[in-house]
Amino acid sequence: MRIGIVCPYSFDVPGGVQNHIVDLAEALIGLGHEVSVLAPADEDSPLPPYVVAAGRAVPLPYNGSVARIAFGPVSTARVRRWLARGDFDVLHVHEPLTLSLSLLAVLSARGPVVATFHTAMTRSRAMAAAQGVLQLVLERITARIAVSALARRVQVEHLDGGAVEIPNGVAVAKFADAAPLPGWPGECGVGHGGTLGFLGRFTEPRKGFAILRDAFVALAPHRPGLRLLVAGPGDRADLYHGIPAELRDRIEFLGMVSERDKARMLRSVHLYVAPNTGGESFGMILTEAMAAGATVVASELDAFRRVLDGGRAGQLFPTGDAVALRRCLAELLDDPGRRTALAAHARGAVAAFDWPAVARRVLEVYETAIEATDGGVLDQEWVEPR
Amino acid sequence: MPGMWWVLVVVAVVVVLTAYLTWTAARVDRLHERAAAAGRALDAHLMRRAAAAAVLAEERYAVELYAAARIALDAEPEEREAAENDLTRQLRATDLAGEDPDPAVVAVVAASRRLALARQVHTDLVRDALSARRRPLVRLLRMSRRHDRPRYFDVDDPTLAADALRVS
Repeated sequence: MRIGIVCPYSFDVPGGVQNHIVDLAEALIGLGHEVSVLAPADEDSPLPPYVVAAGRAVPLPYNGSVARIAFGPVSTARVRRWLARGDFDVLHVHEPLTLSLSLLAVLSARGPVVATFHTAMTRSRAMAAAQGVLQLVLERITARIAVSALARRVQVEHLDGGAVEIPNGVAVAKFADAAPLPGWPGECGVGHGGTLGFLGRFTEPRKGFAILRDAFVALAPHRPGLRLLVAGPGDRADLYHGIPAELRDRIEFLGMVSERDKARMLRSVHLYVAPNTGGESFGMILTEAMAAGATVVASELDAFRRVLDGGRAGQLFPTGDAVALRRCLAELLDDPGRRTALAAHARGAVAAFDWPAVARRVLEVYETAIEATDGGVLDQEWVEPR
Repeated sequence: MPGMWWVLVVVAVVVVLTAYLTWTAARVDRLHERAAAAGRALDAHLMRRAAAAAVLAEERYAVELYAAARIALDAEPEEREAAENDLTRQLRATDLAGEDPDPAVVAVVAASRRLALARQVHTDLVRDALSARRRPLVRLLRMSRRHDRPRYFDVDDPTLAADALRVS
């Protein structure tokens, strides 16, 4: 299949949408499809071979932050030329409601268009002023994908349409191959040692850090050498709040981490703990910890239960129960056999979230969009080369 | 000559209005054609699922499933939604689990998943076409008279539980 993907944000600055597009494009190429990605970027910036630079992006204050986007007559001409040269079977745009290449591409497109909505943003301010333009853009889109349940709900409630929910994939290999941080995870024997991991906004109550903290504070005095590795945005002072002074040197705080350091951090723990009390729609971090080979201990939320294959790919504990969590942790740290068994099952389960698996689901949406434009059913061989 | 101005203004207004009307008419046509194409694709996927279900039913000697599949394949348009819902119910009652994937089961699960996507897209495109029909100008000039009114195909989500293990 010839696939044209449009990225609204510049490749000169890293970001979630850009990462998503690179991973998706590479997975699709790996499955044997022809992919061209159009993105704002300087002509001379180093880009993957499948990315076509659409020229410099201008920084524009937007929705409270600065987005680097390309928009205007020159960009329009470039988009049209790229579309004409590419002769794509399907056009896949990301965040088409931002003033960006994505929007220009949708308006210039003739064939099937698939759109992915990443954020739960309803509409930009510029768009709110032009309801008619919004309708025009949405009308050109054949099939919509939302990357989270929240983004999907926005689609249904505010944009008057359904969307298929396909979450981000996990680049399993990147996590599985990362090198642990030097000196971690350390040893873990019966009754001593072991490293627990937590990643996320520890000041946000729904992330449940307080539950892990209580379990750690209760367990650490009885378990010499037990350490806690924490990464995420926030102050050290907030992190140490409620932790006795003598235990503080057993907590290592990494602050905000890059994607690469996140993988290394997840490789550096015996148990990854997700004590969330709610609000987590999917549990991306769990799949990443699973890919990194950590044994996962998570609260019994529906989403976590699904990701952990009903508890076979990780240990579930009653949501919000620090005493139960403490018991769980102590048992698992003393039982390397069970840890290995859970991690082994997790490695199998996480394959369903690996990018190639996610790309296959995106391909099905492409097929649906093409079929809905032509009114037929596609030949399987054409869709899956090789 | 002051009179010339009025002529120019009138000509300009007529040109803009004509362009707008032509564009709107093309837009209405496009939306209807797309909804119709999505309807044909949905129809093809319904057939596929029923055929896959019939194959599975034959393999397992499942009389009720086979009957539901046949009825779905032969249903008249007005009975079709009920017949398809019936087939979904029969498939949900069928045991599709198992370690070693049976090709007939894989085909049914895949066909159901693709049907769910086709249904979703069809619903969205019909909604777009209907909202275009509701515009006052379109109604006034009866721009949609050449097209049948698009209909929603109102069935339950055909996704099967065997698929739920996948990301959702």
